[in-house]
Amino acid sequence: MTHLAHAVLRRVVLLALTVWCILTIMFALFKLLPGDPAAIFVDNNMSMEMIEHQKQLWGLNDPWWLQYLHYLGNMALFRFGDSFFQNQTVGEILAEKVANTCAMIVPALIVSVVFGTILGALAGWKRGTRFEQTTVTTALVLHSAPSFFVGILVLMVFSYQLRWLPPGGMVSLGGPEGFWALITSTDYLKHLILPGLVLVSREITGPILLVRSSMLEIKGSDFIDILRAKGLSERRILTHATRNALLPLVTYIAVMTGLLLQGQVLLEIIFAWPGIGRELVTALGDLDYPVAQAALYVMALVILLLNLLADLLYGLIDPRSR
Amino acid sequence: MATFGQNLQGLRVILRHPSGIAGVIVVTTFSVLAIIGPLVAPHGPFEVVYRADHSVLRLSQPTWQAWLGTTNQGMDVFSQLLWGTRVALLVGLLSALGSVVLGTIIGLVAGYFGGWIDEVLMRLTDVAFGIPFLPFAMVVISITRPSLGLVILLVVFFLWRTTARVIRAQVLSLRTRPFVWAARAAGAGHLRILLHHITPNVLPLSFLYAAIGVQAGVMLEAALSFLGYGDPNAMSWGTMLNAAFQAGAMRSAWWWVLPPGVALSLFVIAIFMITRAYEELLNPRLRVL
Repeated sequence: MTHLAHAVLRRVVLLALTVWCILTIMFALFKLLPGDPAAIFVDNNMSMEMIEHQKQLWGLNDPWWLQYLHYLGNMALFRFGDSFFQNQTVGEILAEKVANTCAMIVPALIVSVVFGTILGALAGWKRGTRFEQTTVTTALVLHSAPSFFVGILVLMVFSYQLRWLPPGGMVSLGGPEGFWALITSTDYLKHLILPGLVLVSREITGPILLVRSSMLEIKGSDFIDILRAKGLSERRILTHATRNALLPLVTYIAVMTGLLLQGQVLLEIIFAWPGIGRELVTALGDLDYPVAQAALYVMALVILLLNLLADLLYGLIDPRSR
Repeated sequence: MATFGQNLQGLRVILRHPSGIAGVIVVTTFSVLAIIGPLVAPHGPFEVVYRADHSVLRLSQPTWQAWLGTTNQGMDVFSQLLWGTRVALLVGLLSALGSVVLGTIIGLVAGYFGGWIDEVLMRLTDVAFGIPFLPFAMVVISITRPSLGLVILLVVFFLWRTTARVIRAQVLSLRTRPFVWAARAAGAGHLRILLHHITPNVLPLSFLYAAIGVQAGVMLEAALSFLGYGDPNAMSWGTMLNAAFQAGAMRSAWWWVLPPGVALSLFVIAIFMITRAYEELLNPRLRVL
């Protein structure tokens, strides 16, 4: 147990180190901006009062090393300051966008994991059949296809040609107000179908390939023979085997979510989904640096935390890794 | 010479697969297009095409004059596609080369010397793994200036980490093998052992990661350009998709959207088929059937 505690501590220290590196790189980059370094935090259209507030928050009148410490402290405490153009604090803006991004990712992930596991387990169980070949080949092609082009394609076909589904956004004009009312409406579901399908088409490939290959291993193991000798039905045996094949999937899901978040920027642009990726692009385009840097920071943090979770789960589930 | 022979052998194995053959054919075709494409392209990548009556040929469907139609600014899609192939492959090749050289060197040094050198290099790799590429690259490009060189640099920065990890693991198992002891007993120095005994044995893996790097480089460049962070003076598949997307061509001009997207998909999937066939050679358990 002490060994486990040591490993956990090591991971957490490493995470902090990584966060520090990312923040330092960001600080240096924004310092390198041409012109007045204060321009990152202060915009011309701000009132005198706001400018004073921003200057105080980021310590803009101090020497650079104090500013650096201010910066690290603010980021660590999620004090992101005010947006240049929106009448909200950066924290409020980001919380809303992260919720919207989750509204796209979470359903897609659940569908991918459930159906990916079933398909992968069946493919592994029916080794050598046409079903296995078709499933694996399709998964491989989908896995390597550039999903942003897949997104453009389905948009062209289903929204512009067939006009079955809305061409983007999360809700129609005049749709339900408020996050919870929104995500329980059919309007949101209609908007979710296309981007959700594109996400699933890529994310489902991971569970399929992973569960299939661990199924192949389990199928050849002794305990399956024992179950069969006990006279269990083929379906019961398959259930037992699948449960064992799921172990590696648990840690994979965390890593998968982290990777998914990176590609999220592209999907949110294509489908005009008001999530954190699209917010980053908008903020960079508007030179709204407080929002941009906070968005980057939050995305990096989520990915790092998911990776940490994956590592810890792996240590807990598989005793051999300790 | 030994490794050259090994790679040739690898090529033979790839060519035993139907999908490997398809992959090699597609990649070869694109490579030829990248070299001769701009020479045979009827127009420049930013050249406006005029009708006989000197009016601009805007959003024309595919015709004999413009094989793949024209854009909203009257540029020839077919010519842009040919020029774009060159940019895509150039970025792919250079970033793969850079990342594999960097990753291989770091992996070799970390694995061979071990101790604190290994610790420092591997923690550095961990940090690199924590940085989300696309958002990070967008921020860097938006506060500097977009250029092809910067895109390549960013992709290298993103790709070296995987190669470094894999190569290090391979070196860890290699350095305890008898032939390394033998070399050391015979009085070989570190540099000699690294260059003559260990490096040749990790090169097949480096080759695999170089191929994966080309794929990733092409894809990342397309993604960045699609988001509008590519080099504005270089026409790539991603730049074409960006322009088409901005102009709403998805609604009205399929001939402008499909060529760059299909080219990108074909190229990426073809490389994937090659690496898959090559991987099956290294790890037969992956085989289907």
